[in-house]
Amino acid sequence: MRLFIFAIGGTGSRVLKSLIMLSAAGVKPLDEDGRPIQNLELVPIIIDPHKSNEDLKRTEQMLNEYCTIREKLYGRDVNGDGFFATKISTLRSIMGMTATPINDSFIFNMEAVGQTKFRQFINYDTMNEPNQALTSLLFADYQLENKMNIGFVGSPNIGSVALNMIKDSDEFKAFANVFGENDRIFFISSIFGGTGAAGFPILVKNIRQAHNLDVSNKNFLRQAPIGGLTVLPYFNLNNSQGKSIDKADFVVKTQSALQYYNETLTGADDRSVNAIFYLGDQTTSIPYDYDPGNIRDQHNPAHLVEMVGAMAVLKFAGMDSKQFLDGMGGFHPTKAFEYGLDKDLLDVDFATFGQETRRLIYRPMVKFHMLFIYLRTALKAVIGQGFTQDEPKIRSEFTATQFYRTLVDQFFDFYTEWLTEMHGNLRHVQLFNVGENNLGNIIHNVLTKKGFFGRKSVDANTFNAELNKLSRDNKKYSDRTVEYKLLDLFNQAAANILDDKYENIN
Amino acid sequence: MDKKGIYLISGIVATVLFCIFSTELYEGMFTAPGFSDAMYNHSIYPLVATITAAMAWVGAAIYYYAINSVRFARWWHWLCVLAIVTILAPIVCYLVNSSIFDEENLSYAAEMVSFQGVNLLFAAALFVVASFSMRWWSSNCRHTPFPQ
Repeated sequence: MRLFIFAIGGTGSRVLKSLIMLSAAGVKPLDEDGRPIQNLELVPIIIDPHKSNEDLKRTEQMLNEYCTIREKLYGRDVNGDGFFATKISTLRSIMGMTATPINDSFIFNMEAVGQTKFRQFINYDTMNEPNQALTSLLFADYQLENKMNIGFVGSPNIGSVALNMIKDSDEFKAFANVFGENDRIFFISSIFGGTGAAGFPILVKNIRQAHNLDVSNKNFLRQAPIGGLTVLPYFNLNNSQGKSIDKADFVVKTQSALQYYNETLTGADDRSVNAIFYLGDQTTSIPYDYDPGNIRDQHNPAHLVEMVGAMAVLKFAGMDSKQFLDGMGGFHPTKAFEYGLDKDLLDVDFATFGQETRRLIYRPMVKFHMLFIYLRTALKAVIGQGFTQDEPKIRSEFTATQFYRTLVDQFFDFYTEWLTEMHGNLRHVQLFNVGENNLGNIIHNVLTKKGFFGRKSVDANTFNAELNKLSRDNKKYSDRTVEYKLLDLFNQAAANILDDKYENIN
Repeated sequence: MDKKGIYLISGIVATVLFCIFSTELYEGMFTAPGFSDAMYNHSIYPLVATITAAMAWVGAAIYYYAINSVRFARWWHWLCVLAIVTILAPIVCYLVNSSIFDEENLSYAAEMVSFQGVNLLFAAALFVVASFSMRWWSSNCRHTPFPQ
């Protein structure tokens, strides 16, 4: 099954960033019986005309690094188990041989929108007088003058016009042509801004009305399960009063958009969206800089809401089709989901989440954090000993490979940045003791078990010993890559150590 | 049978052969008038060989399965254990040898020291044999002193 994820606007990119981190840790969607979903491939498509948006650029870089790492681990195999298990692909890479000319990128090409002012985009100057008058009623002067390479800056009425061109783009046709019978679609967007609030209903409409388009697989698109994450206000802005994006307007915009969604997407008479996830937080974030078009343009810190939002994607992927389809060619009414923390605290650690969330993310994330510490602090010292000498051997040259440098130097930089940003934001998310290299003290508020002489100690040698033992007993690596061997062994070792040495919070 | 099994059986066979042909081996390496006859007549060669072999195998077993630590998995750690076994085995053999000769009122102190100098080489060789026979199943030290 392919899950096409349309990540719209800045929030879309940031939620996608969290999804990449969870996927890197090996968090996989679970079915109703708690088993990981197999044969799942994620195809993110980022829709944002604001190309200089730092959140978008960071997310794109992380996606590229994820793919580089994963290809070394699993090749082109869709199924994986452990770190980087979920396959993530660009739309271009799944198209195969085709004449449709689209870029091999996660970012939807919006050159046509981004290069112009809105008034040029709608040919305002060539309209007759009555049409100009009508347009002036619908759009303020500053909106007509808005150059859309910085997005729709909080103006969904611009976005709804500009994004309607997507249905005629090569990318949309490519998506429609490659869409399969069992595939699904998920939208990530905020409801209180411009790009996301407008893009979500427009794209859903175009997909559900695919029979009007000149694309193959029209029926698959019309019958496709569609999910959406609608992010309600959760962040705060500095100096936004009276600007295009004014935090004072967030709630009003949200109410209007919710009303519109209810009438066109999720209402009792409309089943265009099968599952909708509403997510927000009345505790707003630390204030972000209001800086569209500036140098550190929309470089917003990661936030708990985005991480929880990423879990909505996984929840949707794990849902049974029977929950959407009524068996008679139609859909059940839209299922709506909300999310609540187990404890309403400002300082969030693993224990603050409910049990379902802990079951989903705790073990993979802890193992991934262990991997991060181990690769950064311990691997080089152990090369030439123990498990590194078993076939395929991990030699000192390994630390100069593209895989190692991408993972350890680049991807883990993003990982620490993500953790640090979430910790610095409101709510403070402190899952791990960031900066702590003592492996016995890395999980915030989770101690090692009590032993005969006090708390059990965990250090790099604990991992080395476990890796040595597992490598000795495991013969499956002789025909696998060094990269796979290292990460698969570590995944098992970390699981054993987590069970043996740390207190269980699940 | 896999490589590891062959190494283990080969090591055991080599050690047993060493004990069986210990007299010939020791006398091939060291003889002294009177001393060699006394050693032969009191069947001390097989006894010394058995003690040396046992200490080499026990030393290797301790290193690979009791210590079996990531912290002691470097080649120089193995070399330290080899040195300990190589020194300890001749000392124990000397004491056993000496106690037998004392009971018989024989005095070959200088010859016994020289003989244990030769036995030291056998102890080292047996430790190497024992190491290569049993190291394969050690979780942390199977690549010590050098990779499989």
